[in-house]
Amino acid sequence: MNTILVLIIAAIALYLGYGVYARSINRNVIQPDPKKACPAKMYMDGVDFIPASRNVLFGYQFKSIAALGPIIGPITAVQWGWLPALLWIILGTFFIGWVQDYGSMMMGVRRDGDTLGALSYKLISPRARNILMLFLYFYLLLIMGSFGNTVGKGLMVNPRVPFGMIAVTLMGILAGQMLYKWKRDIILTTVVTVLLSFVGIWISTLPAVSNFFSGLYGLPNSPVLFLTVTKAQFIGSLLVLLFCYLGSVMPIWSWAQPVNYVSFWIIALGMLGGVLGMLIWRPGMGDFPAFTSWTIGIGPLWPMLFVTIACGAISGWHSLVSTSGTARQLECETDALPVGGGAMFLEMVLAVISFLTATVAFGGLAGYKETLGKAAALGVFAEGLARFLDRLGVPHDFGVAYGSVFLTIMGLTIMQLAVRFMRVASAELAGDKVPVLKNVHVGTILALILTAIFVWVVPWLTIWVAFGAANQLMAGLALLLIALWLKDEGKRNTWALYPSLFMLITTIAALILLAYNQFKGVATAKTSQAAIAAVLVGIIAVVLVVAAAFLIVDGWKALQKRRPEAVEKAP
Amino acid sequence: MLSRIRKRFRWARRLIGEIFYGMTVFDWVRGLRRQRGEIEQLFMLIAFGDLVGIPVLPPYYTLRLLPYVVPQINRWKRSLLRERDWTDLAELIEGVD
Repeated sequence: MNTILVLIIAAIALYLGYGVYARSINRNVIQPDPKKACPAKMYMDGVDFIPASRNVLFGYQFKSIAALGPIIGPITAVQWGWLPALLWIILGTFFIGWVQDYGSMMMGVRRDGDTLGALSYKLISPRARNILMLFLYFYLLLIMGSFGNTVGKGLMVNPRVPFGMIAVTLMGILAGQMLYKWKRDIILTTVVTVLLSFVGIWISTLPAVSNFFSGLYGLPNSPVLFLTVTKAQFIGSLLVLLFCYLGSVMPIWSWAQPVNYVSFWIIALGMLGGVLGMLIWRPGMGDFPAFTSWTIGIGPLWPMLFVTIACGAISGWHSLVSTSGTARQLECETDALPVGGGAMFLEMVLAVISFLTATVAFGGLAGYKETLGKAAALGVFAEGLARFLDRLGVPHDFGVAYGSVFLTIMGLTIMQLAVRFMRVASAELAGDKVPVLKNVHVGTILALILTAIFVWVVPWLTIWVAFGAANQLMAGLALLLIALWLKDEGKRNTWALYPSLFMLITTIAALILLAYNQFKGVATAKTSQAAIAAVLVGIIAVVLVVAAAFLIVDGWKALQKRRPEAVEKAP
Repeated sequence: MLSRIRKRFRWARRLIGEIFYGMTVFDWVRGLRRQRGEIEQLFMLIAFGDLVGIPVLPPYYTLRLLPYVVPQINRWKRSLLRERDWTDLAELIEGVD
């Protein structure tokens, strides 16, 4: 299989999925009316409801949904072989991914711009909203744990990364100052801060700088400080937690937003370079097998593949963004398909690109496995990207450092905002009973302590699978809400109901399997750390299954209530 | 022919520009708009303090501000009374997956 052939398959899927299937559902089932006033116009308050052009919203939606997920998932999942991963990316988006994104957006538009919490309250039951809120807190904790583990214990341990990451963050802060305080032009600000970020990444590759961090970390054989956490991993993760703390308590304009802005350029340019390099090189997959075996280290293909590749095929997070963010800004109903559906199909393309990074950049399975063993999934991406950038004349060392900083900053910007979200959530969930949680610093520190436990105790792959399962479960629940809403509107809902059933059954099976393996692992654990990790993840998996069971039972009852009364036969 | 090409080119430039704007600074602009909106809502509350029994401004000024406040009163009322939960903040967290 050749790179170009995979890209052609993705393009055909894009045409058939978006151009034929999605358009037909849009035209025949949803029937959007361009003349109907959307909530953005009806309730325009200058705060939450403000209309924006569909092109702008497309960019906004894509930026809000695409990040580390479509990169890590495919790279990890190709261990089952390239065919199952590619099929799930394409078919998942085709039948389920866009349905969820577009459906939740239209549901938000037609239900006065309600959030997912309010929709579950109204469409299912009051209890459903409370369970959803609790579910979301655990979900955020899993995001923090999996990304924190990847960045703090993985990427930051590379002595060439911390300086580059600090440089990009400082440039983000400078961008905020330039724009808001010194009132400088946006183009000037962008050019200065992005260029200086690249200089920072280049400086991070210099021996003097990397030797400094090597010394600080005690490399090459960093001593173990506690559990199995080495000095390098401890310092790396502390740096990550510190950045998250500042990102959560500082005003959003001075830290999180401008850092996100500068990192956007770093990421966009990296992706563009990677794609160009791939097109110039056009490598084949070599001996990379289409299928390796049904069961690998992660678990059996069903259900584990479907939670390993979450974003890029289908992801529950999108429904949150679509309802509370984008649906309140759509100018007219007909914009929902290009914005919601279009952004999801573009994310599929991103997942295909990272799939190619894993399968073609190393000339076969052996090279891929060697890099995965040494540097995990993100190392595969950084190394793969560097090999593609090689074709454009970018030095390999710089390419690897660039790829690593690229991923670090991608993970960190999300974590900063997730901590901010968690502190608001803990204040709302328990602030009345424990008033101290309403304090900004206390809420943030609580979130960071929970994150640190996950990062230091739980192995990366376990937590990634748990995160994927929670994400997919969320998607299944969002699809169930869409099916209920369609029923309410008297429209055909099988196109949302069947994907919902598939996602719910698959993810609950994955979570039960995960919980079973974890609890089984407690008995055979060789260290206390392994036992604690197994108990922790096992409990979370059980909590998620129970929460989902309540939601499904309530949802099913709500669906039954809406069934049309059976017509009584005349005597 | 040339004018059609030029028109197409202009359209493509606008399209790409708007998508980039959405990906980059749109969030900042929204944040600023949101701040302005919140300040305006506070102003409405002050001007219409009488409604909630806190007369901050003398009635003379309240009456002078009436023409500005009236067109927005329904939006303001809805925005103030709208039920909120913390999933409202989800849009702030970009690129989770």
